[in-house]
Amino acid sequence: MEETSAQPQEPGWEERLAAAEKERDGYLAGWQRTKADFINYKKEETQKLEEIARYGSVGLVKDLISVLDNFDLALRSFEKEGPVEKGLYLIRTQLEDILKKRGLEKISVKPGDPFDPAVAEALSEVESEHHPPGAVVEEIEPGYRMHDKVVRPARVIVSKDKGRE
Amino acid sequence: MAKIIGIDLGTTNSAVAVMKNGELQILENAEGNRTTPSIVALSKGGERLVGLLAKRQSVTNPKNTIFSVKRLIGRKWSDPEVQRDKAWLPYEVQEGPGGGVQVKMGDKWYSPEEISAMVLAKLKADAEARLGEKVDEAVITVPAYFDDSQRQATKNAGEIAGLKVERIINEPTAAAFAYGVNKESNQKIVVYDFGGGTFDVSVLEIGFDPETKEQTIEVRATGGDTHLGGDDFDKKIQEFLVEEYKKQEGIDLAKDPLAVQRLKEAAERAKHELSSATETEINIPYITSDANGPKHFQIKMTRAKLESLVQDYLDRSVKLTEEAVTAPAPKGAGFKLGDINEVLLVGGQTRMPAMQEAVKKLFGKEPHKGINPDEVVALGAGIQGEILAAKKEGRKTEGEVKDILLLDVTPLTLAIETLGGVATPMIPKNTTVPTAKTQTFSTAADNQTSVEVLVLQGERPMAADNKVLARFMLDGIPQVEVTFDIDANGILNVSAKDKATGKSQSVKIEASTNLSKDEIERLKKEAAEHAAEDERKKELIDARNQAESLAYLAEKSLREAGDKVSEEIKTGVTEKLEALKKVKDGEDKAAIETATAALSQEIQKIGQAEYNKGNGPEENNAGGQGGAESGPQPEPGQPQ
Repeated sequence: MEETSAQPQEPGWEERLAAAEKERDGYLAGWQRTKADFINYKKEETQKLEEIARYGSVGLVKDLISVLDNFDLALRSFEKEGPVEKGLYLIRTQLEDILKKRGLEKISVKPGDPFDPAVAEALSEVESEHHPPGAVVEEIEPGYRMHDKVVRPARVIVSKDKGRE
Repeated sequence: MAKIIGIDLGTTNSAVAVMKNGELQILENAEGNRTTPSIVALSKGGERLVGLLAKRQSVTNPKNTIFSVKRLIGRKWSDPEVQRDKAWLPYEVQEGPGGGVQVKMGDKWYSPEEISAMVLAKLKADAEARLGEKVDEAVITVPAYFDDSQRQATKNAGEIAGLKVERIINEPTAAAFAYGVNKESNQKIVVYDFGGGTFDVSVLEIGFDPETKEQTIEVRATGGDTHLGGDDFDKKIQEFLVEEYKKQEGIDLAKDPLAVQRLKEAAERAKHELSSATETEINIPYITSDANGPKHFQIKMTRAKLESLVQDYLDRSVKLTEEAVTAPAPKGAGFKLGDINEVLLVGGQTRMPAMQEAVKKLFGKEPHKGINPDEVVALGAGIQGEILAAKKEGRKTEGEVKDILLLDVTPLTLAIETLGGVATPMIPKNTTVPTAKTQTFSTAADNQTSVEVLVLQGERPMAADNKVLARFMLDGIPQVEVTFDIDANGILNVSAKDKATGKSQSVKIEASTNLSKDEIERLKKEAAEHAAEDERKKELIDARNQAESLAYLAEKSLREAGDKVSEEIKTGVTEKLEALKKVKDGEDKAAIETATAALSQEIQKIGQAEYNKGNGPEENNAGGQGGAESGPQPEPGQPQ
C-alpha cells in the first residue's frame, strides 16, 4: 500500500504533467486555428468563385473588344465608299449584345468632357479651338467596363494649354 | 494578429505580399491588379494620382508625372547616375537641401522619399482594403547595391506613408527566401533579375553555422545595367514592325498616335506569345489608310527573329553576369562560375526561353524558376514580414506551424484489383493524408463464395503492372464494402466488409508512403512511358468484360425463355454466342466488339418474341453480373 501511494510522488511528475498540459493546450489551439482557417478559407473560396463567375470571362471579352473595334473600323471604311449592307450592322449588334450579356458596358466619353484617367487613357495632346485645356478632344477607341471594373480605358486625345510647349 | 506586409518597391512596378491563412499571397490593388505602377502624378485638375491612373494620363502631363523615382532616392545631386538620369527624365529635377535631389510636381518641390511615400501609401491603403484590417508595419526591399543613404531614404519613405519599416532587405535575398534556398548549408547563389527597366545581378554567399544554427547572407558582388530592361525589348519589336511596314507599304506609322498605340500592344503581345510559341502572327486590320483605301498590317514573327533583334541585350546581360561572378573584388565576387550552387531568375523578362538558355549555358546548370518572376521579390519580403511578426508575438511562423503539421501526400495511387485485372483507383496520387475512402464492390460471378482483395500501388491501369502491397481473402457475397484509410503517418489500413453478414477482414500496410524518391520517380516514369500501351490493354479488357457480361446475359435469357421463343431465334442466339466465346479471350479488340454487337442484336429478338407473345419483356437487370473471374467488380453508381 505504501508503494502505491508513493507512486504519484515520482520525481518530476508535476513538471511533466504541466508540460503535457501545456502541450495539449498548444495542440488544441493549433487544431482550432486550423479549423478556423479552413472555415475562413471556404468563405474566401466562395467569394472567389463568385468573382470568377462575375469576371471569369473577362479575358475572352477583352480579346473580343479588339475584334469589335476592328469591326467598327471596317464599317467606317465601308461607309466612306457608300451605303453599307444592313446585315453587317446586325452582325455587329449581335456581337455587342453577346458582350453586353456578359456584363460589358461601353464607357461614354464625349468631346468636351473633362479627361478622367479613371476611365480614359490619353494617347496624345493637341491644341483645340473648341475645348478648354484638359478636355477630351476626340475619342479614338471606346473604353469598356465589366460590372464595376474598367477592362479597357477609352483611348482619347486631350486638349492642351495654348502657348504651352 | 497584426500583419507585417512585404513590399517590392520597384523602379517601374511595385507589389505587396503577405502571409494569410498559412499561404503566402500577393495582394491585388484597388484596380484589381497584382502589380501597381510606381508612378505619382498631380493631375491638371490638381488631384493627386498614384499607380495606373497616373500612368494613363502621363502623355498629357509629363511634367507632373513622376516615375522612376527609385533612380533618385537617397542619392546626392552630384551622383553621376543622377546627372545622367536628369537629362532624360521629363519632369524637373534640382539640387535639394543638403546636396540631395528634389523633383517638381505642380508648384511644389518634393524629395524622392515623399514621392515614394505616396506610392507606399497607396499600397498600404489597398492592402488594408484587401485584408480588411489595419496595416502599420512593412518589410521593404531594395536593390543589393543600395548604399546606407538610399536604404535610409527608403525607410523614411515608409515612415512618411505611415508604415513602420521593420526591415529593409535586399531584393536578391528576398528572392532567395521565396525560393526557400536550402538554409542549412553554405552556398553561393546568383540572382539574375531582368525587370522592365533595370537589370541587376547579385552574387550572394549564404553561410550556415551548424552549431549555432545561424544563417548569414552576404552580398559578395553586384552588377548589371540600370538602363537595360524588358521595355527595351518591346521597343525593339515596335521599331522592327514600323520598319517592316515602311518596307511593305511605304508608310511611316510612327507619326500616327493610334497606330503607335496599337503597334505597342501588338509588340508586347508578340513578345509574350513567343515565350511559349515559336511563331506568332501580328494582325492589325485598318491600321491606316491611303488614297487607295484602308490598309492592314499582317506579319508573321518567329521566336528566332525576336532573338536576333535582342541578341545584343542578351549577350550584354550574360557578360555583365559573368563579370559580377568572376571579376576579382571589388568589381566582382572573385568566384569561378562552377562554384555557383544556385541561379535564381527574377523579373518578367526572364520568361524568355532564350534568356533562360543563355543563363543556363553560362553556369552549366538549370536556373531555378517556377515562382512568378514578377512577384518573387514581394513574396520573399512577405516571408520576412511573417518571420518578424511571429517573433514579435512570440509565436511560431505560419510556415513553421505548417512544418509541424506537415501533412504528407500519397506519392502514388492506391488501388484495388477488379474484374479482368484492372487496377481501380481508391486513393489517387497526391492526395493529402490522413484520408479515407470507402467503396462498395459486387462479386463478379453467381454463387461466388469468396473474393480476393488485392491492394495495389502505382499509376498503371492494369493490376499486374503495379506493386502488390497486400492480398487477403474475404468470404462473402454479393457485396463487399472496401475501405482504404491512411493515417497521418502514412500507414494504410485496408478493410473489407461483407455487407450481408457484417464479417470483415483488414490488413495494415506500414510501407505505403515510404518509397524512396527514386522509386517513386521510376514508377511515375514507367506509367508515362507505357501510357499508350496501357490504354490499349485497358480498352481490350473493357471489351472483354462487356463481352463476358453479354454472354452471361445471353445464356440466362436462353435458359429462361424456354419454349416462349422459336428454335430459330434460339439457334441464332446460340450461334452468335459461340462466335463471341471463341474471340472473347483473344487479343483482337475489334473482333470482340463486332461479335458483342452481333450477339446483342440477336438477344433483342428474344425480347421481341416474348413481347409479341404477350408476356411483355422480362425484367432483366443482369447487365453487369457476368463472368467467372473471382475479382470484385466496381459499382460506379454506389460509392459510399
